[in-house]
Amino acid sequence: MNHAGELISAYLDGELARSEVEGLFGHVGSCGKCSAELEALQSVRSAVRSLPQLELPPGLIPEADAEVIPLRRNRGFLVGAAAAVVAVVIAVAAIFTPSAATISVEELNSRYGARASLDPAFGPAKVVVPYVVDLPE
Amino acid sequence: MTESVPLTWEEVARVYGRKIYNFAYRLTGNSDDASDLVQEVLLRVRKGLASYQPGSFEGWLWRITRNAFLDDVRRRNRRPTAPLPDEVDRWDLASAPSADTEYARISIGDDVQKALLELPVEFREAVVLCDVVGLSYEEIAQAVAVPVGTVRSRIHRGRKLLRELLT
Repeated sequence: MNHAGELISAYLDGELARSEVEGLFGHVGSCGKCSAELEALQSVRSAVRSLPQLELPPGLIPEADAEVIPLRRNRGFLVGAAAAVVAVVIAVAAIFTPSAATISVEELNSRYGARASLDPAFGPAKVVVPYVVDLPE
Repeated sequence: MTESVPLTWEEVARVYGRKIYNFAYRLTGNSDDASDLVQEVLLRVRKGLASYQPGSFEGWLWRITRNAFLDDVRRRNRRPTAPLPDEVDRWDLASAPSADTEYARISIGDDVQKALLELPVEFREAVVLCDVVGLSYEEIAQAVAVPVGTVRSRIHRGRKLLRELLT
C-alpha cells in the first residue's frame, strides 16, 4: 500500500493540484497512519510558522531602522504646507465620512485577523514620520 | 515570474533586511552569526545589483542569501553537515499523541529553534525558506538550484525529522 508521503506536506503548503488533493483525501480517509501523519505535520508546520518574527538588531542596517523622510525645507514652509494638507483632509472627510465613522475591534479582527493568522509577514503598517531638519543658514 | 526590482542597495536593505535576518537567525540560531550573515548578504547584493538581469528578484536574492550561509558553514566548519538520512520514516502510530497535545508541547519557540539546528542543512534551509520566509516551492527551487520535486521531498523529510526531535 502506498502511503501519502510527501503529498501531505505539499498539501499543507497549498502546492498540490486539485486532482492530487482528491487523491490524497481518498487515501487519508481510510488510512490511520496517513491521517495521523497529516495532523502531526500540520502541528510541526504551525510550530515553525509561529516562531516570532525577530526585529533587526539596532544599527545592523541603518537603512531599515526607521523610515524617516528628511524634508530639507525651512520650518515656515512646512508649517504652512502641513496646515494646508490638514485643512484639505478635514474638508474631504467632512464631505465623505458617514456620521458614524467608528469601527469596532471585532470588525477590525474580522477584516484582518484571518490574514494576519495566515501571513506572518502581515502586520501593522509602519508609521512614516517625517521630521524637520533645520539647515544651517 | 517578473517583479519590480528594488533599484538601490539601500532599498533592498530596507525592504528585505528583516526577512534576511530572520532567515539567518533560524539557520544559525544566534544573533551574532545572523548579523554577520546579513551584512555578508547585503555586501553581495551591493556587488551583484550592477549586473543583475531582470527576472525573479526574490529567487536571485535568496540564492545569494543561502549561498552566503553555506559558504559560512563551510568556512567555519563549526557545525559539520549531517548526511541526508536514507530513511527517516520511523513513524510510530501507536505512540502518536493527538495533534492538540502535540502542538501544545512543541509550540515553545526555543524547542523549535533547537530542533531546526539539528536538521541537516539541506532540510533546514528548505523548511526555513518555506515556513519562515514564506517562499513557494518554485521559488525555493530557484534559490537552492534543485528541482521542485527535491524541494518537496526535503521539506517533508525535514518536518518529519522535526516532529521526531520535538516529541
